Amino acid sequence: MRAYLKHPFWQAVGLFVAAFLVVEFVIPALPGSAVVPKSVVLQYMATVLVGILIWVSDDEARWTTFKEPLHDVLIQPRLKVVRTVLLAVVTLMVGCLTYSQVKASVAAPPNLRSIHPAPPSQITFRGKTITLVGLENPLRKQGDIAAHIAEGHRIYYQNCVPCHGDHLDGQGHFASGFNPLPANFQDNGTIAQLTESFVFWRIAKGGPGLPREGTPWNSAMPAWEEFLTEDEIWSVVLFLYDQTGWKPRTWEVSAEGSK
Amino acid sequence: MWAINLRILGVVLGTLALYTLIANKIPQVQSEVPHALSLGANVTPEQLATAGDQLYHGAGGCTACHGLGTRAPNLLTDEKGQGPIGSRCGKREAGKDCKAYIYESLTSPKAYVVQGYEPIMPEMGRILSPQQIWALVAFLESNGGTVDVSATDIPAAPAASAAGSPAAASASAGIAGGSADPMTIIRGAGCTGCHTVNGEGGKIGPDLTHVGARLSANLIRESILLPDAKTAKGYEKFKGVMPKTFGHQLTGEQLEALVQFLASHK
Amino acid sequence: MMILQAVADTARTYRDFPVIGSRAAVWITAEIHLMFAAFVLGVPIFAVVAEGIGIFGKDQRYDRLSKEFTRLLLIAYSATAIWGALLVFMLSTLYQPLWAYLTRIFGPSMWLYAALFLFESFTLYLYYYGWDRWKYGRSKIVHWCLGILLNIWGTIVMFIADSWLTYMMTPPRDITPETSPATIKIWHAIMNHTWMPINIHRLIGNVVFGGAIVGAYASYRFLAARTEEERAHYDWMGYVGNFIAMSALIVLPFAGYWLGREIYQYDQSMGITMMGGFMSWLWVIQAFLIAVLFLTGNYYLWVGMGRIPGSERYRPYTKWLLVVLVIGALVWGTPHTMIADSRELAAMGGSHHPLLGALGVMSAKNTAVNLMILATFLSFLLYRRANIRQVVPWAQTGTRIQGAMFVIAAAIVLFFGIRGYFVEAIVRIGYSVYQVGAVLACIIFVTILDVLMARGAQSLGAIQWGKMPPRSQYALFILAVTFTWLMGLMGFARSGIRQHWHIWQVMQDTTPYAATPALGYAAIMISTCVLIFLSLVGFIFWLGGLAEKSTFVPSTVEAPHVGH
Repeated sequence: MRAYLKHPFWQAVGLFVAAFLVVEFVIPALPGSAVVPKSVVLQYMATVLVGILIWVSDDEARWTTFKEPLHDVLIQPRLKVVRTVLLAVVTLMVGCLTYSQVKASVAAPPNLRSIHPAPPSQITFRGKTITLVGLENPLRKQGDIAAHIAEGHRIYYQNCVPCHGDHLDGQGHFASGFNPLPANFQDNGTIAQLTESFVFWRIAKGGPGLPREGTPWNSAMPAWEEFLTEDEIWSVVLFLYDQTGWKPRTWEVSAEGSK
Repeated sequence: MWAINLRILGVVLGTLALYTLIANKIPQVQSEVPHALSLGANVTPEQLATAGDQLYHGAGGCTACHGLGTRAPNLLTDEKGQGPIGSRCGKREAGKDCKAYIYESLTSPKAYVVQGYEPIMPEMGRILSPQQIWALVAFLESNGGTVDVSATDIPAAPAASAAGSPAAASASAGIAGGSADPMTIIRGAGCTGCHTVNGEGGKIGPDLTHVGARLSANLIRESILLPDAKTAKGYEKFKGVMPKTFGHQLTGEQLEALVQFLASHK
Repeated sequence: MMILQAVADTARTYRDFPVIGSRAAVWITAEIHLMFAAFVLGVPIFAVVAEGIGIFGKDQRYDRLSKEFTRLLLIAYSATAIWGALLVFMLSTLYQPLWAYLTRIFGPSMWLYAALFLFESFTLYLYYYGWDRWKYGRSKIVHWCLGILLNIWGTIVMFIADSWLTYMMTPPRDITPETSPATIKIWHAIMNHTWMPINIHRLIGNVVFGGAIVGAYASYRFLAARTEEERAHYDWMGYVGNFIAMSALIVLPFAGYWLGREIYQYDQSMGITMMGGFMSWLWVIQAFLIAVLFLTGNYYLWVGMGRIPGSERYRPYTKWLLVVLVIGALVWGTPHTMIADSRELAAMGGSHHPLLGALGVMSAKNTAVNLMILATFLSFLLYRRANIRQVVPWAQTGTRIQGAMFVIAAAIVLFFGIRGYFVEAIVRIGYSVYQVGAVLACIIFVTILDVLMARGAQSLGAIQWGKMPPRSQYALFILAVTFTWLMGLMGFARSGIRQHWHIWQVMQDTTPYAATPALGYAAIMISTCVLIFLSLVGFIFWLGGLAEKSTFVPSTVEAPHVGH
């Protein structure tokens, strides 16, 4: 047993299996975590495998010892059974892999959806052209901000709450019916990463206004410009940031200072 | 020496194959050229027909029925010995030349249904912009006939949104250029063709001058969006005449303006 | 008159290239031209440096190395010209409207370009053929100055060509589709937003690329070598090539960062298309390639330690460096938006993983890559030290200070990486500057200390050049292929963010190939280009080998370390 533990080949195998167990079972079991998608598991395991191969082969002595069991299995007469089993298993595995790859499945194929697609530089809002680049929330500079937030609060609870939820976390009553799920504003990857004008654009144009990389046919978000006025959308934007505590991304001051 | 060369080749090809495979394994997104179908004043029939060709085989979704079996007439190939659409379109409806006939078939397909087919075609005006409709007309004419669509047929394009989202742009345009003035909407939507409002208009539908006294705002909204849900007394024989497309044509703002306007007319 | 007009009209139209189409034809020609150009611009830079080391360090080996580099240049140079001519021919016939537009603006600079190209080639001929004639004394210095002149010509040539393509990406703001090209001032067009960033980025990138190709050349010669001397020489040359490539690679992200920033400043939506739009997956592939570069580069060093007496002292540490690198590669490669099917999406509550998603954002990636750079640098350091024992009295203190510097740099990187999660984006962007700054400062100060400490150091035995297992040489090949591929990929990114514009928002591409292809297609194109390029380079190297085979003179000088 000890000999096995010290042998680089079995150490490598053990490391690999341990890494797999961590990615597949330990990470999902951590608090607040979830299952790791297959594509990511594959990527992690490939990286780990490369790392292990580097470790066993960067030293001449270790590399030679590492190859011993492989070499033995391939040529030693006493290991004939192992060799046969191994050949059968490898062949079977390749077969199963091929089968699972070509097998028709009911699940929709995973697709790439860009969460933050490139916004246009300007949009037409009810016939009025709005330039998004460099645009700040106009309500931050006019009137009483608390009143605007209260207004946004009211509008959010009238329109947005069924999908985006009471906690603004994308867990509204209807949320489970959608794929993609409604945006979770509490997440540091959504509005926390975006300028207010981007959020405005997404609310105003909704799913139908998404560019191709955002796969518009998936998003159930309505184009709110049909139902809300410009100021109403801006006040909702204010409310979202106020309620979640995120700060909107600000525009970089350009070198010419003219943006 | 050859063994080394082959091994090097193997390493190089293997690395290249791995990178190519990974790049192909991820979902593929191509950045399309946005279809800003801006047909200027000097658009040629060929350009129109080419644009129409793309629509016919692409966004228009025409090939879902036309040319596939018995759901709809063949358009690009011969149909019952009458030749492709361009050669037969002028002879379908009396008093309508080819252009007018195809335009009507696209915008109100139920107005004339070719014998032997069900009226299943959607109104393309809801899906496509006027420019796209005219491009399709030109394309269909070009199949067996001559294109006589010109730039004067095509209404000026509404300021295209830079978002590259024609759907959003056309949806928000609304009736009468998106005007919020109720009377402009009423005239632009053609309500006065059937209804009388303030003494103006026809007698096919109920007089709407005092509709606010009879119906609540909600019922008025319902009547505009779902005209056949409830029919006013005395007008039962006209049930089904009112178009059901206003919900798609009006913007939300216009619809509300119209409803409030009618509801306030007590 | 009518006929004349008709001729003018047809002359201003696009044509199609048979079978593969115009886009593919121009793509392949431009990419291969660029690869050769990068090679012939990068190699002279370190050929001159090597010659300088040879002159001032009185080490004949470097002089021979430099001459060998230059011999490779000679044929590669004509290949560059051939592919460049092909590219001009293709552009002027297939993409006539664009070409006509560009020549209207840049005409004079194109003449200058051709003239400089001539100067450059004559300088190169003088430099190479005069090598043995001006070998000693003052004439050697003159010869060295010729090499510097060669680099000056080359750099100007590249700067001129860069101005054309950066104009296509970021034409000055006041130029609209209506602006007549005849009224645009040439200097105004040259001084566009991305011109300087691209210049610098390419200058460094060329050195990296040249080093990698030279490394592959050396490894091929190593594998094919018949004598021990030859093997030792090419082992050493491969090490030098790898060293050059890796050390220039460390500064490359800085230049890339500047370029990306300029693109964002020029047009926010162009920047977002590049980083977050349909190209976002390109960066995951790039991350993968960079992880391959780091791992392979370190692997080469670690295997190389096997030929250094005294390296056993440091062997136990390399596996911890490997652990850092692998964890870094895992974080570095974690996508923010994950590919997942609907069941996994539902479990994750979106396409961001609730836990691992935190590794997908910029803070985590910057931290990972900076730690990977530090680990790679530490590998180099251990490699350098492997066969010496410092004799200066403060050696132990020095090593401790070095260790402290590493710890401080890593702590700064980690601190800003973690803090990046709690601040707004605009502040977070600034943090990457501190992180890279800390790493660079660490590298510089540790190197200075190390050079001082190595004074008069006692050797534990010479490096046994040539005693290298073949698998390390294949690692060099993987490095060269990866660098070349990465260059093709980044070229696609740079050119692809223009999307359907020839000249961004000035001149639209109206060919059937205007759509920007998906990554899969681009990858096939890149692989094709890399394959054609490497085959040609292989042929050129083979030609070079034919001429030189009989003249190989075994070196009698003891091989010291690079950089001593």
